[in-house]
Amino acid sequence: MTEAEITEKVIALVTPYVKNRKALSNITPDTTFLADLGINSARLVDIVLAFEDEFGIEVSDDAADSIATVGDAVALIGKLVP
Amino acid sequence: MTHARLRLRSRLALRVQRLLSHLGLVVTGPVLLALFHFRFRFSAHDLARVRARYRALRAAYPGPLLICSNHLTLVDSIIQAILLDSLWSYLRHPAALPWNLPEAKNYYHSLSWRLTCYLGRSIPVERGASRERAALAQAQMRHVLGQGDAIAIFPEGKRSRDGRVDDRDFSYGVGQLLNQVPDAKVLCIYMRGMRFGGFADFPRAGERFYLQLEMLAPQSASLGLRRARDLSAQVVARIKEMEGEYFAARDSGRLALSDTA
Repeated sequence: MTEAEITEKVIALVTPYVKNRKALSNITPDTTFLADLGINSARLVDIVLAFEDEFGIEVSDDAADSIATVGDAVALIGKLVP
Repeated sequence: MTHARLRLRSRLALRVQRLLSHLGLVVTGPVLLALFHFRFRFSAHDLARVRARYRALRAAYPGPLLICSNHLTLVDSIIQAILLDSLWSYLRHPAALPWNLPEAKNYYHSLSWRLTCYLGRSIPVERGASRERAALAQAQMRHVLGQGDAIAIFPEGKRSRDGRVDDRDFSYGVGQLLNQVPDAKVLCIYMRGMRFGGFADFPRAGERFYLQLEMLAPQSASLGLRRARDLSAQVVARIKEMEGEYFAARDSGRLALSDTA
């Protein structure tokens, strides 16, 4: 799976949880889930679990804690995806 | 998963805080009770039963305890502590007085509130905290639970803006703590003002409080974050059910203010 494909799926999975809808239109790898997209930490857990289901991966608690930006998520999934 | 142990200095700081808050109860306890009864004319429904039940549960489960409550006002923790046990009992049994987890932004802006929170046995938490600060707060919570203390926590992660338990958008903090301290027990509490009730910064003078408490043993076959979500959902669902029981009792007349005056 290419980075672009992962990014596209990540954005699709994140979209329902985004409170700051304006930030959706110009997402970059540096966009943060909490501050930029307005997602709270509990919903970030839901998003990580959605990543697990969508990509067939298992994300450890430590790895989940390291996800702050869209780029972090894409890089982590890229490493874990079979 | 293993978690880093709290550093000696932090462990000592918590021990000193626990000791000072206990000694300070001699002063803060009567002041809070005076405010509760005389300044704000608060009262409680079936207080003797509530306290007897809390003492019995604490005796039956003397180890780490998560006291999980609905959240309507900024002073719920204080009122809950006053209702759960007597000052005399807290003085004799320091572990009965729970630690609190106030949002730092709301309470740590002035010296007086900082002191109040310190003596009120608080571990400040920050929304959106850095990984390091969040890890420190979690290590502090694990430590006090590991000492057999209780922590009062609001599983919704926020106050209920519409006055009802939010069982759709809630925090997973309880589940994460249970993942880290698997032998911790869960005590669910539903507390509400019977005269005015609802969401507010501060309860109105003359309020009469209802408090119901029940042990819960949440279960999940999953691990990690999924387990944290499952356990948190079960705790919130139980408190939501307790809320339903409260309103059913009020609507049917089984629980009426006239019976409690």
